[in-house]
Amino acid sequence: MTAVADISAQQARLTAGAQAALITVIVGAVCLALEGEAPWLVKWPAAWELPATQWVGAFLDWFLNGIKPVMRVFSDLMTYPMDWANFVLGKTPWPILIGIVTALGWYLGGLPMAALGFLGLGFVLASGYWAESMNTLALVAVSVPVALIMGGAIGILANEVPRVKAFVQALLDVMQTVPTFAYLTPLLLLFGFGPVVGLIASAIYAAPPMARNVMLGLERVEPEIKEAAVMSGGTRFQQLFQVEIPAATTQIMVGVNQCLMAALSMVIIAAVIGGFNDIGWEVLLTMRKAQFGESLTAGLVIVVFAVVIDRMSGTLATERKRYDRRVVWAILGFAVLFTVAFWALLPNPSELTLLDPMTDAIDSGLTAFTQANGPWLDALKNNSLFYVLLPLRIGLDQAVLPYTWGFQWTPGMSYGLFAAGAVIALLMAWRGHLTGGLIVLILIGMLETGIANLPWPFVLTGAAALGWVAGGWRLAALSVGLLCTILVSGLWERALLSLYLSGAAVFSCAVVGGLIGLASAVWSPVWKVVRPICDMLQTIPLFVFLIPVLMVFQIGEFSAFLAICAYAVVPMIRYTRHGLVNTPDEMMEAAISSGATEWQIMRDVRAPYAAPTILLGLNQTILYAFAMLVIAALIGTTGLGQSIYLALGQADVGLGISAGAAMAILALIADRMVQGFAEERRKALGL
Amino acid sequence: MTDAKTPAIACRNLWQVFGQGADKALTDALSRSGDDAATAATDLRENGFIPAVQDANFEVHEGELFVIMGLSGSGKSTLIRCISQLLPGTGGEIRVDGENVMGASKKALTDLRRKKLGMVFQHFGLFPHMTVAENVTYPLRVQGVGKKERLARAQEVISLVGLEGREDSFPRQLSGGQRQRVGIARSLAVNPDIWFLDEPFSALDPLIRRQLQDEFLRIQATLKKSIVFITHDIQEALKLADRIAIMRDGKIVQIGTPTDIVLRPVDDYVREFSKDVAKGQHAKVASVMRDEAECGPDDPGLTTGMTLDAALAHCMELYEPVPVRDASGKVVGTVHPSDLAAALQVDEA
Repeated sequence: MTAVADISAQQARLTAGAQAALITVIVGAVCLALEGEAPWLVKWPAAWELPATQWVGAFLDWFLNGIKPVMRVFSDLMTYPMDWANFVLGKTPWPILIGIVTALGWYLGGLPMAALGFLGLGFVLASGYWAESMNTLALVAVSVPVALIMGGAIGILANEVPRVKAFVQALLDVMQTVPTFAYLTPLLLLFGFGPVVGLIASAIYAAPPMARNVMLGLERVEPEIKEAAVMSGGTRFQQLFQVEIPAATTQIMVGVNQCLMAALSMVIIAAVIGGFNDIGWEVLLTMRKAQFGESLTAGLVIVVFAVVIDRMSGTLATERKRYDRRVVWAILGFAVLFTVAFWALLPNPSELTLLDPMTDAIDSGLTAFTQANGPWLDALKNNSLFYVLLPLRIGLDQAVLPYTWGFQWTPGMSYGLFAAGAVIALLMAWRGHLTGGLIVLILIGMLETGIANLPWPFVLTGAAALGWVAGGWRLAALSVGLLCTILVSGLWERALLSLYLSGAAVFSCAVVGGLIGLASAVWSPVWKVVRPICDMLQTIPLFVFLIPVLMVFQIGEFSAFLAICAYAVVPMIRYTRHGLVNTPDEMMEAAISSGATEWQIMRDVRAPYAAPTILLGLNQTILYAFAMLVIAALIGTTGLGQSIYLALGQADVGLGISAGAAMAILALIADRMVQGFAEERRKALGL
Repeated sequence: MTDAKTPAIACRNLWQVFGQGADKALTDALSRSGDDAATAATDLRENGFIPAVQDANFEVHEGELFVIMGLSGSGKSTLIRCISQLLPGTGGEIRVDGENVMGASKKALTDLRRKKLGMVFQHFGLFPHMTVAENVTYPLRVQGVGKKERLARAQEVISLVGLEGREDSFPRQLSGGQRQRVGIARSLAVNPDIWFLDEPFSALDPLIRRQLQDEFLRIQATLKKSIVFITHDIQEALKLADRIAIMRDGKIVQIGTPTDIVLRPVDDYVREFSKDVAKGQHAKVASVMRDEAECGPDDPGLTTGMTLDAALAHCMELYEPVPVRDASGKVVGTVHPSDLAAALQVDEA
């Protein structure tokens, strides 16, 4: 009797997390145990798959063909401003363009910005990629106004019509998670090969940040300011355009900045479909030819553009000082005079080879570097692959081979591992950490099986369990429902592969980024070094990350992994530091006056307080990783990213959109779950 | 222009209920309760609605300074937003100069605001991208008044609030007190008949607050607007008001002159407010005056407008009733010195 009562009392005390973990363990164990008799429990049989990608493809083909005539008219129309921008930027003598950018820099931010503009464009000129750069710039110059107008209109509409708002918000969320390459395939079908695709893709990609910031800005205008406009007797139109939009300028300018950066990033990415002699294409071409010196130089040109555009437009969102207008005219006048005076002597920018010594030096230096350090670089790459990435992917039972590990994995070892896991779990449960113990058991099971080989019922149960703990049964149902669409559509294995690579990258980023963030928080000199690096990494278009990893580690999963990590680690660092640094002074003082040591303050006060912020950073890191995963397909990943990339090459809309949707689903679920945990933490802290 | 007897503002059975489908819910709740406000409010609350203003009834006379006072969350800000139609109002009627504005068309409301209404906000509500002069004349700009005329008017109101020389400053360059002066100037730009002030001095330092209160009284003495003034500060209410309405949990619990509120609170809630108030400084002799003609031999020279404190000082040693005169010197009644003392001690009982 007492034993029964004890057990039921114990069960009553099981927390939600422990229950969820327990169910997941049981489902996983059952699947593994029955693997022999019922293989369908592990691997979803191909016979059960629906030809969803074909259906999606057929539908989209029909739909896209339907709207094609209209779209073609639109694209024909867009060629006018594009040709015009191309002509203006291409034919204007370079001293005048440099003068204009320098003058603009002065107008926006005084001497530092003027210098940035001058040096930046000077570098572009010296690189010999002037013409290509101007082509890229022309695309940006046309797509950005389109994106600004579209985004602004959407934002205002959502602000004016409350019923539209929820829909727009959801749409923007989805658009944020759909990978960039996935946009391109349907556009390719609509517009054919050519720069218009890049133009439209970048306009579509750059509009959401503008819309988001317009909405946010209008929402954040103080209610009393809005009321004052009403009480002044303004019509709705007057209220909006004379009061609310001007009052929201700062936030809207943040939107303009983000819109510019997104457009530039997408224009560069769109180079993969080719057909346009722009700077992104140049990077891709030289990368394919393994001319890393050239591709790095071209990449640096992109970075220079990104930095100049970002910093200059960033000044719009801060309170601006007024700089002497006369200087603007002086700079412009000087540029014109210079052009006229040296007209005959002006070199053709495409023939400039000032940086060739640099590219050669990079090439030879790189060769020397890889030759000198080949052994340990290879060792690093191979060790990471064989001892970390591969086991994670296909599990210890398949990855441990005599060839790499020196011995063959046997079923006995699996049992031993599980037994060890069970002992650890029991010990932890004994100490009162039942949930932790169960999670250890789950992780050991995943390591043995490999993420790509996980039984599907286990993944679904795990997702449901996590969703339930993070955000209640609604989130659980949403996660399972969405995952099921991937499962039946035949993209499951690829989805697991994507999950594995991004999971590995996110985990590494969380550890490394968390530690760097911690170091930056406790020791400010570290932050002085880390901060500009973070700024730079966030400004660089995704594409450029591929160049250095490719140079050192060649094509392959490890390079992709590194590229993803380099891009996705930034938010983790930033949010961790931000969370830890922003502990309220009073809490710190209370802890100090209680006699806590530095370390105790960190562990007991600052870290718990920072937890929600750090979780948000993790959330961003996940989204960044997914975004980069698709780009990294260019240098060798398997999974959904590669499918999207392949679909682009074959103009297979069905596959492209389905794989893009699957990717968006994974990102969306991860996003909601982490947000759920962060929300729960915030509530627990009463924030 | 309007009939002298028509109140500037009249609210009848005014309700503001928050929640999805509040209109219908209010109608239902009222019909269920047989138009009993308290029952209807409870009913609404039980169904998940928030009755922020319940069955408000009052009038503001022309030239009257009407103060609505209550703690935060009592519904006073909601009430003023209802009257100014920043919130639509759920039930009842609001008459401004005799015309019902509940459910008036957008155009009619815009017209009304352009001609008759001005409003001052607690956190100033200044437009951050406009200079002082542009802020002040924005109500004229929306009507299409020319720039020259606007600037002339700007000068007038800016000097009325004592901000000469700051015309071209931006709000962020001003102190809190100066900002509220801009807010006041803007609300007066169209020379409105009705003036709404939503806790205009609450966000200011005590010293600045008193300074602005005095200036506000000075301005009101010359302009004679009909005013609805919101505050949570009993001292401010007593200092400024012609009449005070006290709100609690969405209901108006008492309407009366400052003396009424101090000397004859209707319940403990109102009494609690006036507890810390030095009554003698606010209550007037008229409040304890009797209509009797008989009085004693002494005449210490009391007048109806004297505060109780002053009156008491004059008849410290007297026990017989004394005569009270009005402003013109005519005897209008008598006061028993014992009543004076009793009035000042009403709480201690």
